[in-house]
Amino acid sequence: MSRSTWFPIVGAFIFFVAAWKAVVVAANLPPFILPGPDMVGGRFVDAWLDGTVWPHFATTMVEIAIGFVVGAGLALLVGYALARSALFERLASPYLVAAQAIPILVLAPLLVLWFGSGLLSKVVICALIVFFPVAIATMVGIRSVDRRLLELGRSLRATPRQILATIEIPAALPSIFGGLRVGVTLAVVGAIVGEWAGASRGLAVLINLARGSLFDIPLMFATLVTIALIGVALYLLVVLAERRLVGAR
Amino acid sequence: MAVTSAAAGRIDLRDLSFAFTNRGGAPLPVLDRVDLAIPGGGIVALIGPNGCGKSTLLRVVAGLLAPATGTAHLDDAPIAGPDPRIGLVFQEPRLLPWRSAADNITYPLELAGWESDRRMERLAALTELVGIDPAVTTSRPAELSGGTRQRVALARALALEPEVLLLDEPFSALDALTRERFDLEILRLWERAATTILLVTHSIPEAIMVADRVVVLSPRPGRIVADIAIDMPRPRTIDDLDAAAVSRAAHEIRAHLAIPTELVS
Repeated sequence: MSRSTWFPIVGAFIFFVAAWKAVVVAANLPPFILPGPDMVGGRFVDAWLDGTVWPHFATTMVEIAIGFVVGAGLALLVGYALARSALFERLASPYLVAAQAIPILVLAPLLVLWFGSGLLSKVVICALIVFFPVAIATMVGIRSVDRRLLELGRSLRATPRQILATIEIPAALPSIFGGLRVGVTLAVVGAIVGEWAGASRGLAVLINLARGSLFDIPLMFATLVTIALIGVALYLLVVLAERRLVGAR
Repeated sequence: MAVTSAAAGRIDLRDLSFAFTNRGGAPLPVLDRVDLAIPGGGIVALIGPNGCGKSTLLRVVAGLLAPATGTAHLDDAPIAGPDPRIGLVFQEPRLLPWRSAADNITYPLELAGWESDRRMERLAALTELVGIDPAVTTSRPAELSGGTRQRVALARALALEPEVLLLDEPFSALDALTRERFDLEILRLWERAATTILLVTHSIPEAIMVADRVVVLSPRPGRIVADIAIDMPRPRTIDDLDAAAVSRAAHEIRAHLAIPTELVS
């Protein structure tokens, strides 16, 4: 990236931090209400260096990774089936929409009850929340494939598998990536909500510890920053993959 | 060349009818008892008003649609589906936008399981044949001009060395000057590749310029109302379009298309 693209980004970040500090100083807020950016930054570095964050971070990342892969993987298959079979869409879509309409916050305690407070319940919650946007994006993408290209494939005697690999998937890819962008940020939400409903390790657990027994509000904010950074990093990863696979057309 | 392979690429349509089914479920006849025989290496232009079933007829020959009644044969065997001996060029280039021009040209070879180095060899021959600058083959279709895109589509249709080339108004999106040049290039191509050509067109000059015979279809359901031989020596040039034989043929075609001749100068 060139200097002209970095400059506004850095500028906006400095403005955000300065505004935060200004609010803390102007309102004379104590650290247990809103710690300043300097204090949170310091605690963030300390907590990473002394190993407070690492085990929780690792747990949450594993939950996100497995949950996202399982949820998005299933969504690709189901989304394709939804696009290809009108009957399947009519039968399945009421349940999919209903499942999506129930807030994950309400569902999470139930799922923890069923699948235990370990990794499995988090993966299920993550996968569930990732599933819907990716499935819908896949369905829309496959449906919008130009019929004329499909006719071309048929005229060249492409097998159904070749049509899928050389026409349908490349044509649907931009739409699918739209779903994956939404899905990957929701995966972070899913893991945190799942841990909130019951877990022994994870970034949500660390937040609970920081505001409860440890009463370390700067640590709580440092953990929030960690979660936000995970979301941004994963989103950028998806965008990067999209640039490589979709590229210029 | 056309003489030695005269046997291959023979198309024989007998009593061919085709109907689509409309939303209400009622049949909508498109082609009505078409009889058409094209000898191997021949060029036939199919002309007719909009919606007369020209494209449908082409799709039946291409094996994309099955006739309701009647038969379609290629070299004495019924056409049962898309066939590697038949190359098809659509009205629009119909390229895969995410592939380079080269990968679009070699797409049929890839589907047929050709090895990469064999594909590259064939690619070089094809770009030379249809007149594509090898330097632009790395470009995506969006970066190419309309004419080059249609050349890529033509090269793709020729990739598997078909006996028959089906052209569905392939130059209708091009400007008149480019189109004239393409008509001549099709003839040059035909001399080299020795394929049977069935060309669907709206243009009377184009039909006369290219074809041995011009077949006129009636409005839907399409029936053959005239089969006019074009008596013009080959190789043809653009100046041949001014010959007396041409205007006679054009006059006859217009009469069968029921175009009032006093309005068409």
